[in-house]
Amino acid sequence: MKLFTRFITIYLVITVIALVIGGIVSYSVIKDEIETELKWQFLERIDRVTYLLEKGRRFNRVKKIDGDRNLAIRQLDRYEESRVEIGDTMVWHDYLEQMEANLKVTAYRNIDGTSYYISTHGAIIESDDITEAVIESLLWIFGIQVAGAIGVGFLVSGHLFKPFRKTLERIRNFQLQEKRHLPAAKTNVKEFDDLNRFVEEMTSKAVTDYRNLKEFAENASHELQTPLAIAKGKLELLTESGLTPNQYTYVESLQRTIRKLSRLSESLALLTKIENHEFKNGENVNLSQLVREGIHSFEEFISLNHLHVEMAIADDVQVQMHPVLADIMWMNLFQNSIRHNVKDGEINVQLTDSMLSLSNTGPEPTVPTAELFERFRKADQNSNSIGLGLSIVRHIADQNGFELSYTFEDGWHNIHVLLNGVKS
Amino acid sequence: MAFFRSEPSASIVWAYLILIPFVLIIFPSGIIASGFLQNYWLSYDMKLLLVEDNEDLRQNILTYLEREGYICETSADYDQAFDKIITYTYDVVLIDIMIPKGNGLQLLGELKNEHPETGIIIISAKNSLDDKIKGLELGADDYMTKPFQLPELQARIKAVHRRNRLSGSPVVLVNEIRINTLAMEVLVNDRKIGLTPKEYDLLLYFASNKNHVLSKQTIAEHLWGDYVDHLENLDFVYQHIKNLRKKLISAGSTDYIESVYGIGYKFNVSEKKQ
Repeated sequence: MKLFTRFITIYLVITVIALVIGGIVSYSVIKDEIETELKWQFLERIDRVTYLLEKGRRFNRVKKIDGDRNLAIRQLDRYEESRVEIGDTMVWHDYLEQMEANLKVTAYRNIDGTSYYISTHGAIIESDDITEAVIESLLWIFGIQVAGAIGVGFLVSGHLFKPFRKTLERIRNFQLQEKRHLPAAKTNVKEFDDLNRFVEEMTSKAVTDYRNLKEFAENASHELQTPLAIAKGKLELLTESGLTPNQYTYVESLQRTIRKLSRLSESLALLTKIENHEFKNGENVNLSQLVREGIHSFEEFISLNHLHVEMAIADDVQVQMHPVLADIMWMNLFQNSIRHNVKDGEINVQLTDSMLSLSNTGPEPTVPTAELFERFRKADQNSNSIGLGLSIVRHIADQNGFELSYTFEDGWHNIHVLLNGVKS
Repeated sequence: MAFFRSEPSASIVWAYLILIPFVLIIFPSGIIASGFLQNYWLSYDMKLLLVEDNEDLRQNILTYLEREGYICETSADYDQAFDKIITYTYDVVLIDIMIPKGNGLQLLGELKNEHPETGIIIISAKNSLDDKIKGLELGADDYMTKPFQLPELQARIKAVHRRNRLSGSPVVLVNEIRINTLAMEVLVNDRKIGLTPKEYDLLLYFASNKNHVLSKQTIAEHLWGDYVDHLENLDFVYQHIKNLRKKLISAGSTDYIESVYGIGYKFNVSEKKQ
């Protein structure tokens, strides 16, 4: 619900409650006022009758005086104290054909020793009419209120909330990778100024943290590579100092370990970079060409491992992604299919406009295939691989909106990459 | 013999008599030396500057390269390096990007201004494509990512030097083997032999790292780069070496490629071999 709608709803609910109470109050006030007026009018009439009686005028039992058909004057044969009684009475209304509440004023007067009963009743306005009038005027008021509220609402959301919506828009367009915080814009409203200042502080903190994290990832990689380079160099110098083959095997395994460490730190840095969205999309990559060249460059390893490769590659499949990521994704997948294969095994590569599939023969994985996309998950825990390849592939796929699936069936590993949003 | 009568002329003659043996001895040996140097000229003449702040790494590179007889100088920070590139001329300069008191890329720019003919290799811990592109755009000839192999570094230095406009020569000579790096052809005793691209690459790598022991892993990484990362079996290196060796020997070359048991191979061109 929009703030504006909410504001109007609350406002109108309160208005309705106020109007209902106001209606009841006005109804009773108006009714009281009318009855008071009527009462005075009746009393005046009674006073006049009394005056006429005192003057010696005699009335018939029921006589119309001043056009008042309801006036009743009776001579009583008993003594009654002079008093005035005011009450209600229900009287049949001829036109409306219903009982109508009327005001009734009854007076007892003693004139020259005789007691008289003087009474009259009537209504100027029916109570229904009062109700109608009250409701009608209240509806008018309510209508004006609604129009006013909507008008104020538009004014508020259109003009007053402009800085708020502007801030919102800026937050929506905020990109951490651009490493620019959102400076607080000056408004004349304290709340908005507070909000903008808060946004400024928050974004500049986010930018600093992001920069630190990124620098840390890069520096960590850098700081690791230099000592590794030193160790590697020393070992190379050591191999030239006349080692026995036995000693050399130690050196060689150390070399391999260093190589692995270096690859590990490189892969982690790459993974961090992908997670930080440092590779912005924006280029058309010809996947067909990439795949063909990739297979070509591995020909030697394929034949050395006695593998057989089947290819069905559609021409000119274009994908919108970062070329480096495309290369890494394909290389990781294809190298995996060579490495985790069996002797005299097979590899099937299929590329269409919508899908890249890689199937290869290989030993059954010891963990569920879906888990192999997690970091440091390896099908064979003793293997020399670092266990980040598929994790990197998954991150690249996620970032480019590709769907990735991995199944194992009848000795075949099948990886499908659904290339959504492919332009061909 | 009026010749001998005058004192000054006599002294000149005596001087000649004394000089003759020297000339006779020094000149031929000079000729011999020049023939000898012809093979080693490229490496012996090369002047290098290494800009790297890490003491150990500097020492590693120095130790490896000094065996080739390079004149190798080092600087540990930007200011030192700047002074040196302004004052002297080098054939090849190795620059680390992250150095104290400045940036390697900045130094690269200064160097290109001052001595555009100098070969430049960036050695960086950052395997970042941006840096690589920036460095090469600024005029670096090559970019190496740490940790690199010392034989690989040496091969790259030589390659950069060969391509160098002023002092480099496109021909690598190892006794009877002549490698023309422009035409990418190999001549043994002036007869061309046909090598596959990988065999050619392998021979050039051996020639760039004469008398060094090269492990199978090192060779594999040079020939196939990062692809070998995931391969546990390096037997294919042996295949290529076997073929290269066969071709060289059948063309009449000495068998320089020695197998070092359990370690790898060595391209041995030391005197005793000949």
